Amino acid sequence: MVTQNPDIYDPRKILQHSEFKVLSAGEKTDSDANIAAFYNPAHEIHLVQKPKPKPGPGQVLLHVRATGICGSDVHFWRHGGIGTMIVTDECGSGHESAGEVVELGEGVTEWKVGDRVAMEVGIPCSQPSCTPCRTGKYNGCPDVVFFSTPPYHGTLTRWHVHPEQWLHRLPDNLSFEEGALCEPLAVALAGIDRSGLRLGDPLLICGAGPIGLVSLLAARAAGAEPIVITDLFQSRLDFAKKLVPGVHTVLVERELSPEQQAAKIKAVAGGELKLSLECTGVESSISTAIFSVQFGGRVFVIGVGKSEQKFPFMHLSANEIDLKFQYRYADQYPKAIRLVAAGLINLKPLVTHRFALEEAVSAFHVAADPAQGAIKVQIQD
Amino acid sequence: MACTHNQRLYDPKQVNTSPEFRVLGPNDTPSSKDANIAAFYNEKREINLVEKPKPKPGPGQVLLHIRATGICGSDIHFWRHGRIGNMIVTDECGSGHESAGEVVELGEGVTEWKVGDRVAIEVGIPCFQPSCEQCRTGKYNGCPHVVFLSAPPYHGTLTRWHVHPAQWLHRIPDNMSYEEGALCEPLTVALSGLEASGLRLGEPALVCGAGPIGLAALLSARAAGAAPIVITDLFQNRLDTAKALVPNVRTVLVDPALSPEDQAMKIKEAVGLKVKVALECTGFEGSISTAAYCIKFGGTLMVIGVGKSPQTYPFMHLSLNEITLKFINRYVDQYPKAIRLISEGVIDIKPLITHRFKLEDAMAAFQVAADPKQGAIKVQIQDLD
Repeated sequence: MVTQNPDIYDPRKILQHSEFKVLSAGEKTDSDANIAAFYNPAHEIHLVQKPKPKPGPGQVLLHVRATGICGSDVHFWRHGGIGTMIVTDECGSGHESAGEVVELGEGVTEWKVGDRVAMEVGIPCSQPSCTPCRTGKYNGCPDVVFFSTPPYHGTLTRWHVHPEQWLHRLPDNLSFEEGALCEPLAVALAGIDRSGLRLGDPLLICGAGPIGLVSLLAARAAGAEPIVITDLFQSRLDFAKKLVPGVHTVLVERELSPEQQAAKIKAVAGGELKLSLECTGVESSISTAIFSVQFGGRVFVIGVGKSEQKFPFMHLSANEIDLKFQYRYADQYPKAIRLVAAGLINLKPLVTHRFALEEAVSAFHVAADPAQGAIKVQIQD
Repeated sequence: MACTHNQRLYDPKQVNTSPEFRVLGPNDTPSSKDANIAAFYNEKREINLVEKPKPKPGPGQVLLHIRATGICGSDIHFWRHGRIGNMIVTDECGSGHESAGEVVELGEGVTEWKVGDRVAIEVGIPCFQPSCEQCRTGKYNGCPHVVFLSAPPYHGTLTRWHVHPAQWLHRIPDNMSYEEGALCEPLTVALSGLEASGLRLGEPALVCGAGPIGLAALLSARAAGAAPIVITDLFQNRLDTAKALVPNVRTVLVDPALSPEDQAMKIKEAVGLKVKVALECTGFEGSISTAAYCIKFGGTLMVIGVGKSPQTYPFMHLSLNEITLKFINRYVDQYPKAIRLISEGVIDIKPLITHRFKLEDAMAAFQVAADPKQGAIKVQIQDLD
């Protein structure tokens, strides 16, 4: 199958460009230089300077205004890979972005200069012969170009060229910050969409990091009740309670077995849960979720994790528990924007730290250090 | 408590402590040709013929002459290993749960049956109380107070005379034999899995395992119009049986030395594509992992078998491919469907029976069923006189 996206977004075009250079710490750049945060196989993170791109046919040039740092960005930097996605060269980070259209490529009629957009960074092939693309599951496209998944450079930069059909208009009442938060919200919404969550369902959310928290906000908007949320850190549970005062929080105790942890969760919930949105990807947390749900219940795993994991088979079998998994998202951005614009989901409290683009390396260190207590660190330009 | 009524009614101690209960040694003979003999295993990993009292049907019950009973892998497992999950053999326990029989006596208040009626026997008896969430919401297979005959400690139906609740029997039409009536039970297991899997007309399917459940799943998948279908097993003779049942099924002999990914490559070569649904009928970790690598994005891995716990699976592969892992526990509301499918000729399940024994020869039957070299698929005990 011939697809053009891997060619168009070939990272080597940037890495081999004469204007590409890795900046040393503290090196000054012009205020409109196309700087970006890149990581590499040596587990370094640094600012680079890249050429300012020009939009081709069907593309627009964006001034990226806000980008959130994701756990996967940190993981690629520090561990060099997730599953089969391996860092083999300098790679640009960032995929949670919103920005402003500054230049149109040939044939672009949908947008005008000044339009404010959220950026959907998973670019599938969209060919009729591709089964996932043809059947409405474009997140499963085997030829997808996902910016910031190695080798494709991400959107944590100043100037970025993007296919115009993978942008979503931001209404005037959404800030660029909120636009950038639409990406993690899209992850949560994709999970909730396929999880079967309904009004009044008792729900367990595992993990109160950014994905757990957006899942909490979305689940409350969907009318789940009661909602129990777990985390290893009390500070994250306190944050969850500020976001959704009616949520029940349970601190995870490492010395408890999953069955014991589940017993505590069920006691707090007043019974078994119907569904769990598992947002950690950690084996013991997934087992805990399995022991927490009722006969015929469902554990929906949104997180990624260790490649091979153990599961309590006989408990799953005897209780007919479904295990489902979410991989990125499809068709969730418009929904995310509607929900935020209508005030049903308030994402603003999630941004705890803001950095200028020139300070991106510091931003990464804050994001990577649990002692800093960051929820969402954003780079804003 | 109302929910434990069945546990008292079917209390095995009533039989085990009866003065008429005796274990028959190899040189013992039953007291008459109508004696209520049965095949029991015990906590010492023995299997014996026993003789037990002929029961009388109480209110809402009927007395059945059991005419055919299939031996299940779980019967053998309880005999030889003493447990499955939390079900542990602690005393003499009657085997058998795949039975069909004939109504011979009615208990008080029974109006829907008459003497001579021929029935398939559903042996999972839930509490059916309004306060039981599973029973009330249509998931009676999940009833925490279920009495499942032949799961220790409750005695099974591999016997001559058996008392059963009238409402957990299913009429079998005249064109169905007792043999086929007894085969309804494994068929309901396969049908449960098929229903939960969402497998539909025209979709490609993988069946893992060509034992009785795998073969029942194959027949069910074919009846549902799945195409193409590929089936795997460790033994060529089982694959040959599969091909005799469904001539255009693709068969793949499992090579235990291959990794799941490599085994999956061979399966994909055999069928030419990735499947939408895998009906996993072995419960083996390696087979389940193999199935995961055979399933397309967004497909379903339906685990029908039981197996060791915990098990390790390729988590990231499941995650990146949005593969749903589902499990079933026995069956709910499948018997009427199973009977219709057999009676209407949509599924021909008779060929699964490879060995038939009289009730007096139940011990020999168990030896054959437990010995892979005998090549048995379904061994049935039949008491047809």
